[in-house]
Amino acid sequence: MATTLRTKTKKTKAAASSSPAKWVGQPIRRKEEDRLVRGKGIFVDDQKLMGMLHIRFVRSSYGHAKITRLDVSKAAALPGVVCTLTGAEVKSMVKPFIEIGPDAGQKIADYPMAVDKVVFQGEPVAAVVAETRLIAEDAAELVEVEYEPLPPVLTAEEALKDASLVHPEMGTNRNWHGVFEYGNIEKAFQQAAHVVHIGRLHFHRFSSTPLENNAVIAVWDSRSERIEYWSNNSFPSFAAQFLSPALGVGIDQILMKSFDIGGGFGIKITNYPYMAVCALASRKTGGRPIKWAETRTEHMQASAHGNERTFFDTRVALDKNGVITAIDSRHVDDCGAYPRYEPLGCVIWAQVLPGAYRVKNVRIDVNQVVTNKCPVGPNRGYSRMQQLWFIERILDICGHTLGVSNDEMRLRNYIRKEEMPYTTPNGCVYDSGDYAGMLALGKKLIGWDDWKKKQAAARKEGRWIGMGIGSTLDSGTNNFGQAQIINNFAPFSGQSKAANVKLDIYGEVVVSLGSVPQGQGHETTAAQVVADVLGISPDLVKVKPGFDTEQNVYTGHTGTYASQFAVTGLSAIHGAAVKLCNEISRLAAWALKGKEKDLEFAIGAQGPEVRDRRTKKSINYWGLANLVNVNNAGMPETLWDVTLNCRHVYHAPFQVPDVKRKYGNLTLTYAAQIHVAVIEVDRETFQPKILAYACVDDCGRTINPRIVEGQVHGCTAHGIGAALMENCAYDSDGNLMASTFSDYTPITAMNMPDLLYGHMESPSPFSYNGAKGMGEGGAAPVHTVCAALQDALYSSGVIIDDSHNTGDSIFRALQRAGSGGFASMVRVEHPRPSR
Amino acid sequence: MEIKFSGVFTVRKTPQEVYDFLVDPNRFCPLLPDYQSMEILDAKNFLVKLSVGISHIRGTAAVKMSLVEAEPATRAVYEGKGDVPGGSATLRAGFDLQAAPGGETKVSWLGQSNVVGRIASLAGGLLEPLAKKNVQKLIDGLQKALG
Repeated sequence: MATTLRTKTKKTKAAASSSPAKWVGQPIRRKEEDRLVRGKGIFVDDQKLMGMLHIRFVRSSYGHAKITRLDVSKAAALPGVVCTLTGAEVKSMVKPFIEIGPDAGQKIADYPMAVDKVVFQGEPVAAVVAETRLIAEDAAELVEVEYEPLPPVLTAEEALKDASLVHPEMGTNRNWHGVFEYGNIEKAFQQAAHVVHIGRLHFHRFSSTPLENNAVIAVWDSRSERIEYWSNNSFPSFAAQFLSPALGVGIDQILMKSFDIGGGFGIKITNYPYMAVCALASRKTGGRPIKWAETRTEHMQASAHGNERTFFDTRVALDKNGVITAIDSRHVDDCGAYPRYEPLGCVIWAQVLPGAYRVKNVRIDVNQVVTNKCPVGPNRGYSRMQQLWFIERILDICGHTLGVSNDEMRLRNYIRKEEMPYTTPNGCVYDSGDYAGMLALGKKLIGWDDWKKKQAAARKEGRWIGMGIGSTLDSGTNNFGQAQIINNFAPFSGQSKAANVKLDIYGEVVVSLGSVPQGQGHETTAAQVVADVLGISPDLVKVKPGFDTEQNVYTGHTGTYASQFAVTGLSAIHGAAVKLCNEISRLAAWALKGKEKDLEFAIGAQGPEVRDRRTKKSINYWGLANLVNVNNAGMPETLWDVTLNCRHVYHAPFQVPDVKRKYGNLTLTYAAQIHVAVIEVDRETFQPKILAYACVDDCGRTINPRIVEGQVHGCTAHGIGAALMENCAYDSDGNLMASTFSDYTPITAMNMPDLLYGHMESPSPFSYNGAKGMGEGGAAPVHTVCAALQDALYSSGVIIDDSHNTGDSIFRALQRAGSGGFASMVRVEHPRPSR
Repeated sequence: MEIKFSGVFTVRKTPQEVYDFLVDPNRFCPLLPDYQSMEILDAKNFLVKLSVGISHIRGTAAVKMSLVEAEPATRAVYEGKGDVPGGSATLRAGFDLQAAPGGETKVSWLGQSNVVGRIASLAGGLLEPLAKKNVQKLIDGLQKALG
């Protein structure tokens, strides 16, 4: 049964807001570009404050070891060194960070620095604070640390055995466990025409690798007992909620600021442990500013990686037509050494429980384990991409096994356009979408039928060419109530964003966002929305980017994450702009001695103005602002509430989910991307090469097509990199084998295929503007590349069981296939053979 | 990252002479590749400083060595632990001595090292050939010194 949600928006009285959108929907250039392209962006590491010191962390060489000796005396004695910090000292100054999860997870003592033992390579064990960065680096080399190695826990399987414990105080490596069961699983399997059993599938670790690494400047002002942060944390209101109890200060004593941020994609949400140490260092040095600018190797080793997930014992029930009727599986998520933002990932995947498909009966047993690897953090497509990859792998494996082509398999299983809004088995409501239409567009773009012929001809020549499809959902605007499914004491639910729009004293339209953009173009889209409400040009709207606690334009949900700004941020901005518009109308009607219904917003000789259509009199924004702010004698009391400084908080229409049933709407909008690829695997080097690539996006009503297309390009590059190049692999001792870009090989323009891009619009009925959040893309290329590789190699007995595929891994997969690997990977039963 | 090497060589010295050489840090340690200096801590423990470097990662490694097994004329085993630039390393070097015809000694050796830390990440692929080269230098040095 579909559930309909509707949001309420106030209509404005003035003419401007009732006219059709002039700027929303236009591909205008980004307002931010001028500043950023000219090198005028202001990033944390650009800041130089009076008396500023630099901190350098000493990091563990081991993945798992006891610290047997730590001596900072030589470092402390180096000229230029101001102080040092050790784990023991830090422990005496802070409380452990709060844990979101219940039970065993609550027992973890997560300090921002290792105290007695290290649990991942790169974990800070000491810090040196010095007058210059170079002195701090030299001094860090003088810190003497001795370790006693412990057996590292590096895989889901090892973690589940509990033979070696990452956190002995937990008594287990299992951080969270839950079963998500919907429909009637056993009945569906009894009635199935085919049951496909799939062995181990594995979604690898990769990261977002933003251009700008983590960075923070902290000042602990002992007089005011306030901590001021200038950072690139992308969810500052969340970070403050972790920092406040740990540092023992009120949350109002923590001031957060951000300005330009060089990418993040979620991974900067969890940099708050470093923020805590910087604050402690500032306190220890009498309130001097402390700067930490992470190196690339530090970022790779010890910031955050995306979640790794292993899928075991999967059973899939299908009817005689290849329609999937049930999925039963066991998933183990590896969150690394400390949960931090986790175990939220153990429920966030459920936003896309059935993927883009109509399967009604689902049982997934979810475990999350801690391991001796870098802690995870939300990574573009956070937790949903692992589930979407799993579902897409099922589609392809079942399709190949039953002899149904990959496009037909999808068409038989897609949720239909006419079924929207569609309620999934776990109560999520897909707002709108036409997945079959998107696939048709993708096939048209790439020339599917032509490639089919070329593929057939190439196969006769012995070439390995595969065609793959990846169908993904970009669920946006999340309901924090899902945290209560993880821990019913979690004090989170709903979703909200605040914005402020004002006329300043000189009549300039100024928007304060409170969001934390990292390249998403918030300044531009905000200006487009406000320009339409006020009937002016986006050039006349000044948007103040970044987060600033003192401007009070935030809620506890404020940050940039979970594909939501187009809905939450722009709804807040729209609401504030409408309030401002109404105030301007009331004020102008008084000033012009007219009636609100006769007013129109226009551009006059002196800029934006309000004009009385009847009398032709007008007053410009400067005049209006002047009346309120500095020239208000004689203003009637009925207008004293007009401030021309309007704040609006958007609340998404959510309920708290049914925690026991794990049922409810977990997110508001569902953008979709369907990608199609043609890939050839070289028969001599086994290296895959993309021959053609098409991506189709549907994010509802588009605010700025240029920005949307850029986001699709970005997430496609990220996904192709993840699928074919990028891997945070560890060796058997817990050494990260990709701690530089030389080893991690992030994708560059040189590795990118030409992208064919298509766009559809299925407006969301749940947002005021029909828009849906987008930009994460659900890691569509990872699914697409795997699908195409399997299509290329299936006839050689290969099932693609890992999300990361290189020439080397493909060679090994072919070797396994030759020695009966396929049979152990996939088994088919036909309990009720189709007649 | 574990690296293991082993081999056999023969020298024109008696097992006792070879043993005496191996357990004397003043004679044995200077043969270590890129040896800088040594500090004797007690009869079985000493601190050796070595120059180490792979590509741009260069510096001095301070390795604490211990003679953990010493059976005259038969066996000598060292264990070491130290910090190298960007990481830590443990090592074990064992020598089994067997009398050979003509007053010679057959030396069966086993070298095992475990390198962890940034250096293993940055230079993992280079470590094994470098270690092989250095071990060969040590063995060549031993053969030369033992005549």
